[in-house]
Amino acid sequence: MSFIDQVDAEIVGALDAYQAERYRTIGDDPPKAREMTDAVNREMRANLPPTDVDITELTIPGPDCDIPLAIYQPPGPGPRGGLLWFHGGGYIVGDERDDTRCVEIAEFVGCTVVSVGYRLAPESTFREIISDSFAALNWTVDQAPELGIDRRRVAIGGRSAGGGLSAGLALYNRDNNGPDLAYQLLIYPMLDDRHETPSSCEITHPTVWNRDVSIKAWKMYLGDEFGSNNVSPYAAPTRAKDLSGLPPALVTVGTLDLFRDENIDYAQRLMAAGVATDLQVYARVYHGAETKAPDANVSKRMRLGYLEPLNCTIG
Amino acid sequence: MSFIDRIDPELVHAVDLMPAERYIAISEDPPKARQMTEEFHRAMADALPPTDVTIQETVIPGTDCDIPIVIYQPTDPAPRGGLLWMHGGGYIVGTARADGHGIGFAERAGCTVVSVDYRLAPESTYKDSIADCFAALTWMVDNAGELDIDAGRLAIGGGSAGGGLTAGLAHYNRDHGGPELKLQLLIYPMIDDTHDTPSGHEITHPTIWHRQVSFEAWKMYLGDEYGTDHVSPYAAASRATNFSGLPPAFVTVGMLDLFRDENIDYAQRLMAAGVPTDLHVYPGMFHGAEMSVPNAAVSTRMRTDYLDAVKRAIG
Repeated sequence: MSFIDQVDAEIVGALDAYQAERYRTIGDDPPKAREMTDAVNREMRANLPPTDVDITELTIPGPDCDIPLAIYQPPGPGPRGGLLWFHGGGYIVGDERDDTRCVEIAEFVGCTVVSVGYRLAPESTFREIISDSFAALNWTVDQAPELGIDRRRVAIGGRSAGGGLSAGLALYNRDNNGPDLAYQLLIYPMLDDRHETPSSCEITHPTVWNRDVSIKAWKMYLGDEFGSNNVSPYAAPTRAKDLSGLPPALVTVGTLDLFRDENIDYAQRLMAAGVATDLQVYARVYHGAETKAPDANVSKRMRLGYLEPLNCTIG
Repeated sequence: MSFIDRIDPELVHAVDLMPAERYIAISEDPPKARQMTEEFHRAMADALPPTDVTIQETVIPGTDCDIPIVIYQPTDPAPRGGLLWMHGGGYIVGTARADGHGIGFAERAGCTVVSVDYRLAPESTYKDSIADCFAALTWMVDNAGELDIDAGRLAIGGGSAGGGLTAGLAHYNRDHGGPELKLQLLIYPMIDDTHDTPSGHEITHPTIWHRQVSFEAWKMYLGDEYGTDHVSPYAAASRATNFSGLPPAFVTVGMLDLFRDENIDYAQRLMAAGVPTDLHVYPGMFHGAEMSVPNAAVSTRMRTDYLDAVKRAIG
């Protein structure tokens, strides 16, 4: 059965030539890919329904340059839970104005979302990106009272590359005695640079995040370490040997996602390490479908599948 | 962290409510274990709220003896979907009077549920148990008109040993030209006689379905094949090598279940074979927790998720 025939009927329509072009460009021409991604995000923003969530852009001092943030505040008094959010984009594209996801989370969970404009590859590699993320986490916890955040209810999360960054930050934060984290929300996280699993060989269709673009993105993100045996677990969390002592996790992915098996394996290893882990895998769903075809039933189920547990944890 | 400390706070009290003697009796005194199980189930059935679902006990002809069944009929207009239900009990105990599940599916999915009293080990082995389940499925198709079932909307499902039978029956049904099935619902299915996984070693607590009692049950169910390299995939579905052409699957298990890893691995192999598969693993849950503590939040989530899966498939 062809890839397209396996896709859920309600989400297949969102796969088109433009998606294929955007993914191809991410691997081949990052500046142009950023322009294309910006255009997609602008259009998504323009189509968002009106919201009471207040959106503020600011910069904070980072380890060696300023870091742009977008802060999403739901109405009403604090203290609220806080979610430090990492956008997707293969570590190559995307920015902190990830309104589609952040507004929905702020509304549903009633938490403050701090979205991080971390540096991108290939201009930077994982070391700078992880240090930006850790700086943003420390800033968020330090500023908790001003942000209306309850320090005991701080989670990290993201999708795709942002999910990989969340998993890496959870490890980095543990190893560097960072603040307590209530949750790590890993939405089809990009975790494994090796691409040796069945799903990472299986998903090659150009309209979805595929093996070819993924390998190119990892090359840019890892720099010199790509292809070596000493890839940092902060960059590729599947490389980590010890997963104990990490915050409770939620891992969610579709069966037609390149990252399916690495995500399942990582969740399984978290469970074996005693980390409370929620694993959800949705049949017939490709990478990013829940926002590309937001009104499909399976997209709604997938989003509720993480919004509700997040609400129970930090809401 | 100890096993008990990892259990969801809403579920932990139930661990000590369940006597370890029941599991000891399964290996040492099956008739006594059956009696204890029946008392346990009667108490659970008595606690169920009133229902409009009609419950009818009857007998159908099997391959070499009659098979008792229980039919749960909702008030929804006919024709309805049909679910063949296999009860749990380690292949040793339990009866078709699975009112909690039968009523739950009939009400939520608006389907007719046929619960089958397949023969039990050690008096019988898997060949007889599978034959009884296949006979009941065939009977449902042959009598679809009288049962108000739409034979184009059939599903099979079960919990624990019943989930294992469901997985085995899916293979058997495919290999023997049985009816098209819209769903195989695998609720923490007992599918692997080797328990050679991290969770297969990890879960040893005496009041929860654990490694030792599970091996004793497999010994009785497999008979001469136990411990050999040629265990039938109809008995232990993890032994299967061909997953193509199986019906869509929904696999669900708790993180603290002996079967966690074998269930995740099985779902992963179904996905790799292109079988549309949903997988949900819930944190803090032990084997059967969603029935023993039905009102806990995580129990409600698990039950709602699998009830809705049946509704989507055949409702």
